[in-house]
Amino acid sequence: MSTPNSNFYKKDIVPVSIFALIFLTMPLWFSWIGGYGGLDTKIVIWVIFAVGFDLLLGYMGYLSFGHAAFFGTSAYVTGLMLLHYSDNIIPAFFMGVLAAVIMALIIGQLTLKRSGIYFSILTLAFGEMLHSLVLSTLQDWTGGDNGLTGLPTPMLFDLKMQGHNVYYLAVFIAIIMYYLARRIVRSPFGLMLSAIKTNPTRLEYTGVNVARYKLAGFVISAAYAGVAGALMIIYEPYVASEFMGWHLSGQVVIMSVIGGIGTLFGPMIGAAFMLYFENVASVALGGAWLLVLGLIFMFIVIFLPGGFVEAGRKVRARFFGGAS
Amino acid sequence: MVNSIFLQILTGLQLGAIYVLISLGLSLIFGTLGVVNFAHGAMYMLAAYLGVVISAAWGWEIAIVLVPAILFCLGLIMERGLIRHFYTRPHTDQILVTFGLAIVVQEALKWYFGANNLPYPTPDWGSGIARLHEVLPFLDGFVAYPKWRLIVTGVSLVTVAALFALLQFTTFGLVVRAGMRDAEMLRFLGINISKRFAIVFAVGVMIAGIAGVFGGPVTQVDPGVGMVFLVPSFLVVVIGGMGSLPGAVLASFLIGLAISFSADIPALANIIIYLIAIVILLFRPRGLMGQKGVME
Amino acid sequence: MSILEIKNVSKNFGGLAALGNVNLTIEEGSIHSLIGPNGAGKSTLLNVLIGLLEPDVGTVLFKGEPVLGKKPYEINQMGIGRVFQTPAIFDNLSVLENVAISSYAARDKGFSFNVFETPKTARPCIELAKETLQELGLYEKRREEAAHLSRGDKRRLEMAICLANRPDILLLDEPTAGMARADTENTIKLLQNISDRGGITMVIVEHDMNVVFSLSKKISVLAQGCIIAEGEPGDIKGNPKVVEAYLGESQE
Repeated sequence: MSTPNSNFYKKDIVPVSIFALIFLTMPLWFSWIGGYGGLDTKIVIWVIFAVGFDLLLGYMGYLSFGHAAFFGTSAYVTGLMLLHYSDNIIPAFFMGVLAAVIMALIIGQLTLKRSGIYFSILTLAFGEMLHSLVLSTLQDWTGGDNGLTGLPTPMLFDLKMQGHNVYYLAVFIAIIMYYLARRIVRSPFGLMLSAIKTNPTRLEYTGVNVARYKLAGFVISAAYAGVAGALMIIYEPYVASEFMGWHLSGQVVIMSVIGGIGTLFGPMIGAAFMLYFENVASVALGGAWLLVLGLIFMFIVIFLPGGFVEAGRKVRARFFGGAS
Repeated sequence: MVNSIFLQILTGLQLGAIYVLISLGLSLIFGTLGVVNFAHGAMYMLAAYLGVVISAAWGWEIAIVLVPAILFCLGLIMERGLIRHFYTRPHTDQILVTFGLAIVVQEALKWYFGANNLPYPTPDWGSGIARLHEVLPFLDGFVAYPKWRLIVTGVSLVTVAALFALLQFTTFGLVVRAGMRDAEMLRFLGINISKRFAIVFAVGVMIAGIAGVFGGPVTQVDPGVGMVFLVPSFLVVVIGGMGSLPGAVLASFLIGLAISFSADIPALANIIIYLIAIVILLFRPRGLMGQKGVME
Repeated sequence: MSILEIKNVSKNFGGLAALGNVNLTIEEGSIHSLIGPNGAGKSTLLNVLIGLLEPDVGTVLFKGEPVLGKKPYEINQMGIGRVFQTPAIFDNLSVLENVAISSYAARDKGFSFNVFETPKTARPCIELAKETLQELGLYEKRREEAAHLSRGDKRRLEMAICLANRPDILLLDEPTAGMARADTENTIKLLQNISDRGGITMVIVEHDMNVVFSLSKKISVLAQGCIIAEGEPGDIKGNPKVVEAYLGESQE
């Protein structure tokens, strides 16, 4: 007889395996659909970013427009570590993510006390503040507009982090992060996050320290952004100032919503779609790719708020009957 | 000494003048309709582009009248066609759809006009400098200031005054002010708030339009300008107090002055608005003039 | 043994005295009703007790500990539970999840960062949640989405959420408001059952005199922010001051 625990662990096997399979084999079939090497790594990085973002938006219900603050902070710290400390990626990666977490603790304290609207505005503002700092005040450290250049080739001990090496490192990390997200969502902690989205006042009166759960959820999603940011520098050792900008924050919002928030799975699809669209489909559309994407985004927000995942469910219901 | 302080004050007022128009529109829309319009900066930007095109084609006088009018109509269409459907939807959806609109407007302008800064020359009657020392006795020596910047400041003050007059002295204004306090109550009283919502939204957008057509020559006219102005405008609204119009006015000029007086230290000037916002958030979360409990 | 002591509590709203020097002692294990005409301050008093309002003057002691100034979740953790008048439930979650939240909250004292928790460690809380659902007759519906429940079931779910973290005292704000006869009878039985099981005190704000007189061990009457009478149901029934408070109010 299977105990509840073994059933519990079993639930993750199939999805995580499929995830692993797709991404481990991607370099083999990616070029058939027009992808080029390097784009696959970027997709994996954004998948990590989007999955963490979904925890905050889809599950906890908080829309952050400033997640570039964490991606960017991690990117800069990782870059600075590589530049000034050692080309070994391990301390750089660790410090990058740590920096993102600390930044999230600070920003979270200031922004989470407010309601959702206020929160969205404030996260946008803080993101822009960091962007401004990086461009002007701290430019001696960050390279200002030009970004942080001259980074050495990142090394994992004796292994050069280039090409396929980076790709498989990213996939390895992505598999872990995805599994983690699944576990979080299905734990009592995850239940509390969902309760925050549904009825935070009631939750408070039920004896739950809502403020602390909010901060924890926020920090976890920032950690995901930090992992993505660090990986981005390991993949391409150059820190662009755009990594702190609202454009990046906006991109993760767009891809998560297009994919379908609250599913973990949706934002992954959204990430892959958006990157694919930007790099491959834009050949036909040229400079107007973001305009088209923006229109798709608006269409989804207005008519299909559940994104591609909802669309998929509807299609399945239509053609295969049964409960949708 | 007096000169430089005076000039700094003037610059501060001029900076604040543009912020005030954008943030007033934002605050009005938020206070009455409860909608956070992430597309508001894009409206400013759109007006600036229209200003470039129309002033070049038909002259400035036409542009000054036509652009705000176009934006008013655009506001009506936006409210009726899009925003209205989101009143009952969760706040995050409202933010997402207006954000999407901002992106679409920005990209559409970039696609049509290109990513570069468009030149936006001021009209002859507004160009050149004003010799302030001729008019103001306390100034010492030769003090000049760009005429157009003075005009922008003036237009802004006039618009603010007109808006307040509209709200204070008309029935429409009374309904709007009541609606800002308690929209629910008005519905119970049978007052058709929805038609007025459309007008309020349109007025808010129109004010951003006035800011755009006049402010365009001062700020840049490129596809990034919308977002560049959105963030400070949000912060102004937050600092002044969400839903408080006088607060937005006060905060705008305060920020403008702060930026102007810190201009000698560029590193500070760039982030001073954020610093002020953080201080307010920590010590007076409702903003300078906000009501307690609003948006807690 | 008194479990809740309200001393000299006053609260003004603008110029209006909502509560004027209220002194009240609640006996442990009893059912204590708070009645009074509309606007007497009953809801205000309840709001003070659960941390929603700060009085201008006065103290509230629960099991000897001061209550005022604490955050709502801390007050709940002390053992004070509030049953909301309009059922406040977690719409998108299942019935079982709704109640589980409450038992997790009690177990974790408000917060737990264990993101890797497995069903094994969660089991006691789930069992407690299931037990509570059974007590309230909602066990069969445990997998249903809370939003789809009938109104009566939502009220029971509301009660289940409150009971699952085993409060020492339950504050009920007009639990039978708007209910039909049969529902009211059921609610009276339910509250009686819960009280009979022991270990719980109840403070009920009510308008329905039938409920008040069937359940209460003690009744306090509030009028215009002050306690004008207090005693057992027998003492209150014919009390001229009470009658005057109600009639006087209805003459306006």
